[in-house]
Amino acid sequence: MIISYLKTALRGLTKNKFYSFLNIIGLTVGLAAFILILIYVRTEASYDQYHEKHDRIHRLESNFTISGKNDQFGIVPIPMAPTLKTEFPEIESFVRFSDAGNQLLRYENKESYEKDFFFADSTIFAVFSHPMILGNPKTALVEPNTVVLTESKAKKYFEDENPLGKILLDAENNQFKVTGVIEDLPANSHLKFDGLFSATTLAARMGEERFNTTEPVSFWNIGVYAYVLLKENTSIDAIHNKFPSFYDKYMKSIGDQINSSFTLMSTPLADTHFEGNYSADEPKGNKMYLYIFSAVGLFILIIAAINYMNMATARSVKRAKEVGIRKVAGAHRKQLINQFLSESVILTAVGLVIAFLVVYLLFPSFQTLIGKELEYSALFNIGLWLEVIGTALIIGLMAGSYPAFYLSSFNPSKVLKGTMSGKAGGSGRLRKLLVVIQFWIAIMMIIGTLVISNQLSFLRNKDLGFQKENMIVMELQDSTFRSRGETFKKELLSHPNIVNATTATGVPGQTGWIQVVRMEKETEMIDDAMIICIPDYDYLETYDIDVVKGRFFRKDMGTDATEAVVVNETTVKQYGWEEPIGKKIHWGFNPQGEGGRVLKVIGVIEDYHYNSLHNKVQPLMMFIHDDISKGLITVKTNGRNNASTLSFIEEKWHEMGAKRPFEYQFLDQSLDEMYETEQKTGVIFHIATVITVLIALIGLLGLSSFIAEQKTKEIGIRKVVGASVPNILVLLYKEFAMLILIGFALAAPLTWWGLDNWLQNNFVYAIDISWPAFAIAGIASVVIGLLSISYHTVRAANGNMVDAVKWE
Amino acid sequence: MIQTNKLTKVFRTDEVETTALNEVSFGVDEGEFVAVMGPSGCGKSTLLNLLGLLDNPTTGEYYFMEEKVSNLREKQRAKKRKSNIGFVFQNFNLIDELTVFENVELPLIYLGIKGSERKKRVDDVLEQMGMLHRRKHYPLQLSGGQQQRTAVARAIVARPKLILADEPTGNLDSAHGEEVMNLLDQLNQNGTTIVMVTHSPSDAEYARRTINLFDGQIVTENIKQAL
Repeated sequence: MIISYLKTALRGLTKNKFYSFLNIIGLTVGLAAFILILIYVRTEASYDQYHEKHDRIHRLESNFTISGKNDQFGIVPIPMAPTLKTEFPEIESFVRFSDAGNQLLRYENKESYEKDFFFADSTIFAVFSHPMILGNPKTALVEPNTVVLTESKAKKYFEDENPLGKILLDAENNQFKVTGVIEDLPANSHLKFDGLFSATTLAARMGEERFNTTEPVSFWNIGVYAYVLLKENTSIDAIHNKFPSFYDKYMKSIGDQINSSFTLMSTPLADTHFEGNYSADEPKGNKMYLYIFSAVGLFILIIAAINYMNMATARSVKRAKEVGIRKVAGAHRKQLINQFLSESVILTAVGLVIAFLVVYLLFPSFQTLIGKELEYSALFNIGLWLEVIGTALIIGLMAGSYPAFYLSSFNPSKVLKGTMSGKAGGSGRLRKLLVVIQFWIAIMMIIGTLVISNQLSFLRNKDLGFQKENMIVMELQDSTFRSRGETFKKELLSHPNIVNATTATGVPGQTGWIQVVRMEKETEMIDDAMIICIPDYDYLETYDIDVVKGRFFRKDMGTDATEAVVVNETTVKQYGWEEPIGKKIHWGFNPQGEGGRVLKVIGVIEDYHYNSLHNKVQPLMMFIHDDISKGLITVKTNGRNNASTLSFIEEKWHEMGAKRPFEYQFLDQSLDEMYETEQKTGVIFHIATVITVLIALIGLLGLSSFIAEQKTKEIGIRKVVGASVPNILVLLYKEFAMLILIGFALAAPLTWWGLDNWLQNNFVYAIDISWPAFAIAGIASVVIGLLSISYHTVRAANGNMVDAVKWE
Repeated sequence: MIQTNKLTKVFRTDEVETTALNEVSFGVDEGEFVAVMGPSGCGKSTLLNLLGLLDNPTTGEYYFMEEKVSNLREKQRAKKRKSNIGFVFQNFNLIDELTVFENVELPLIYLGIKGSERKKRVDDVLEQMGMLHRRKHYPLQLSGGQQQRTAVARAIVARPKLILADEPTGNLDSAHGEEVMNLLDQLNQNGTTIVMVTHSPSDAEYARRTINLFDGQIVTENIKQAL
């Protein structure tokens, strides 16, 4: 029986090449997109779950309230985790990760920068599951100056040599002995690293005592990621419940002095990728995007399935006779249902096989697209395939169900007499509804794509209040180089293409630090956290930032070097200063509130966007401080011949005795990178939209061919009684245009609401959603839709009416 | 009104060439009622297609209302057709999705006649056909006779000079058939020219002249004596 089904199914496929082709293309594209999106979603949703003990691991986070201002951090004070362990028996173990910054590592003649290295406690391999290829996980990070590398980093430095026992040097010629090699971290790790130095290295450098101190003041400096492993059958709540007494014991004395408090927060390891919005944290996943993409994947699949249903029922006109004959020959309805269902399942299976090939070929580009390195093994994951095959089966059955139940219900006597043909093909209303749904989805995605790209170009082109073009930013890495910053700057200015230069502690995109200062408010001084940037005298001019009131620092004003401060407009607003000039800010005081500098405001600068447009501009202050080393130098060029300017800078860089390779960034590029997530999302959304629209159009193409066929008689009659070809075209187009417009009417409000939410929740500075995006989407979908049906429609309208009306 | 000269229609497929109509020459005067008879496949339908300007002959000439129309393009044929010719088919050829009123209205829409005028004319002709009470019904809700009366209404609503009918009673029982034939006769009395293809000798009785076709050629012509 099955053989017979297979035979008819395959013959059916080859006989109706046009329909089969459209169906398989639609299904293939739909399934391929679905599989890729599923891989993405599975990766996102499975973060850190590969750690065997992940359900017992919690990451610790800090919640500081300093003078009423609340700040939450993904990192905690250095002594927090070990002290918690000594106090609370629920904790079995802990690991701390301290960012090693940008390390220049060297082995023989191979050297390169490593950005993703951490100092970690030796307990890491007992807490996390990082399979060790070489070395002993128990002892690997116990000794100071040891390092564990990932497999790919080990290969990079040592190639085929055995890395164990080899020595890596850093920029200061510190030696690190390789004591282990672990597997590369999977893409779904929220804390990614390429290598780990032993935390005891830090202890050795700082002194054991200082590193392990539990002095109250050490709890008021944050610095490390920390994870605790709980014992079986214990709960993290117990620790949170007992934390107040811990606070009283270790932290309260300082907290009371500085009018501040602290609470401990934590997140289960597997949720760390998504939960919380903390300062000083690894990049987070966005659940909203996860939902959006899951929805998009489903949409694409639904549209492809709708295509199948539509085309299959449409084809039923031609198959009515087959059903009649099979019934007369003794087929039961159940057998016919089985036959049609197996046909659609077979078709889906064919689509699935091709889709897999497509996915396999696209896998590398897909990884670039989502910015994650996945392994090919992700493709052969059993769970993934159970889900994919399950979904394909459901889609196949769903897509086949309507034709199956509908076709099998045909009355053989009517079918064979031919009186069916006019009405066969199923209820036109259902088919219309399906087309409406397809366009509803497609139009939502078109509008979404347009608004997202509008927002992105708004972000790229918004006037940020400073010059970002032709600005080269360099980091002065080592302290000796930094001390020569001013000389370096002067040397650079001798080049004709270099217009200006400035050294500072911060540049837009990486602005200085946050510190508690005392601000004058009405008659008293209040403590508040401020963003601080220490510039030199040329900062304002180089960056082209406007002064709103007063002036910027001048070298010839002697007191500017010690007593003056410049604030931004937001500061003025926040403290309600009617006359900002002369207002006092006390900076750098000790816990007793003494020392530091009392600065007077000499100028107010425009609220330039020193940070990404995700964040609102906050109060910012700048003052001159010669003793604070300025690690960033910005060079403004005239934009001519950048290559030669850069090689001149590089030459000077080495002349100044910089210990590290020349590195620079163009400011506009590094600012663009702040919107990488949105840009990637935009691109993915764009592609998904093209795919959706494409599949919807394939469906429309197939459907138009059917409708043209079904309407042959009506068109013929109309022409006989006087309709012209344009009359007929209008008639056919109107019908489709109506469906598309209904889809549009359904899509527009929903999309408006969704996008408005997205913009409000993700950006402080966002475009207003405007009607042109909607108009474009509406008009485009009608035009594209009508174009796609044109071939069949025009052919039908020009068809020979003599055949259509048949005299006898 | 109609004059043909060696009208020939050849159908070609890849392998077969069929001559459906072979040098047919005849004429129809204004106000005549002509029946065309002959066995299946003798070329009756092809003749009607040519006379109705639905198709062009392979060779030969066709003069319709003193104008040579045998070489016209479809656009020009359509223009002539819609104001001058009405069609009645054996299988009615009504559009199932439209009501009786809408079906009858179609030719007037394509002639560009205004809505109020259309309504008046459709109602008039529906009344004339005794179908006014069914104007909101769909074809499938009607009996065969009613469907054919609707089709006749549609054929005459634009006041054509010529009506081409193809076995107008073929799908009807005798009572309904007679009803339709009486209608056509009445139209002819009022001056409309009618060419009708039929198998039925009793229907042919209504015509003043009968042309017999066989294998694409006219074999005999009988003129009925005036009563």
